[in-house]
Amino acid sequence: MSWAAHDLEPYAFQKHLNLKVAFVPLLIGSYAPDMMTKWFVYGIHIGPWDLRATDPAQFHRGWPGFGFTHSFIYGTAIGLIIWKVFDSKLWGVSFIIGQFAHAITDTGDTVGTMLLFPWTYHFHIGAWAYAGQTGRTTDAAAYFSGLGCMWDLVWIVYGFYAWRVVTGAYFDGVIYRADAFWPWLNRWVPRGALLALYRAAFFYGTSRWIAWTVWAHVIHHYPYDLSWGGPHWVHAAHP
Amino acid sequence: MRLRSLRKWLPSRPELRVFVGYCLAAAIYIAIGVTVTDFLYSFWVGVAYVVVAAWAVPMLVRRLE
Repeated sequence: MSWAAHDLEPYAFQKHLNLKVAFVPLLIGSYAPDMMTKWFVYGIHIGPWDLRATDPAQFHRGWPGFGFTHSFIYGTAIGLIIWKVFDSKLWGVSFIIGQFAHAITDTGDTVGTMLLFPWTYHFHIGAWAYAGQTGRTTDAAAYFSGLGCMWDLVWIVYGFYAWRVVTGAYFDGVIYRADAFWPWLNRWVPRGALLALYRAAFFYGTSRWIAWTVWAHVIHHYPYDLSWGGPHWVHAAHP
Repeated sequence: MRLRSLRKWLPSRPELRVFVGYCLAAAIYIAIGVTVTDFLYSFWVGVAYVVVAAWAVPMLVRRLE
């Protein structure tokens, strides 16, 4: 899994794809595969009950489980439903691009994703350890000590290099004009707040990356292990 | 030639001012997040924070001036 790439990739794709894409469904698509499942992977406490998957990696990425949410067929199906329901090809296609980006990015860890579901083969590069089953604190420490956080850093550096994508001029000239959602929202929400909303995922991804890095390496001194499949001090899940 | 394209790439003074404002907001967000890591998990908390810190607070300050 990735912690910041899913926040930052939509800005790059929006800028570089020669297709007309809408930012909001692109971002929703980028978050979609984990929306239903992440809370159950880490577990939550509701009163006296602890709700958590018995096999988090299987639940999150496998079959039987919700691994199909990280497949092309799922992104295409939801994209087509969005296209039909909202009568917007732009929203449907943008969602599909975002969801595909998430599913492909998550092939970077040791569990990988069933990209071609219903074929249940897990495509995985294995560059960083999948440690969701260890709980969210250890998962954060492991992720921010391995190559996963370096992959996030690539997107952060790219974002700062292409910094004009988060300027007011770019928002007004490209983002606002490309999608009727923004003028619709602008009826109630002023332009300044819309701009802050547009920048929110970039802010969230970058700030969170720095905060977790400080937490893992300045406060807690977890060791960096940038070797392939690392960090090896955590038990990595495999398909 | 290269210097001219570099100048075009660099942000203007008003753009830098906005960037510094976001950096200040980020520094506070990071400080809270490192202290209380639960703060870092929710995207919606992040969205609410950035709207308040980068839009509502500056707007209120401008109105009070």
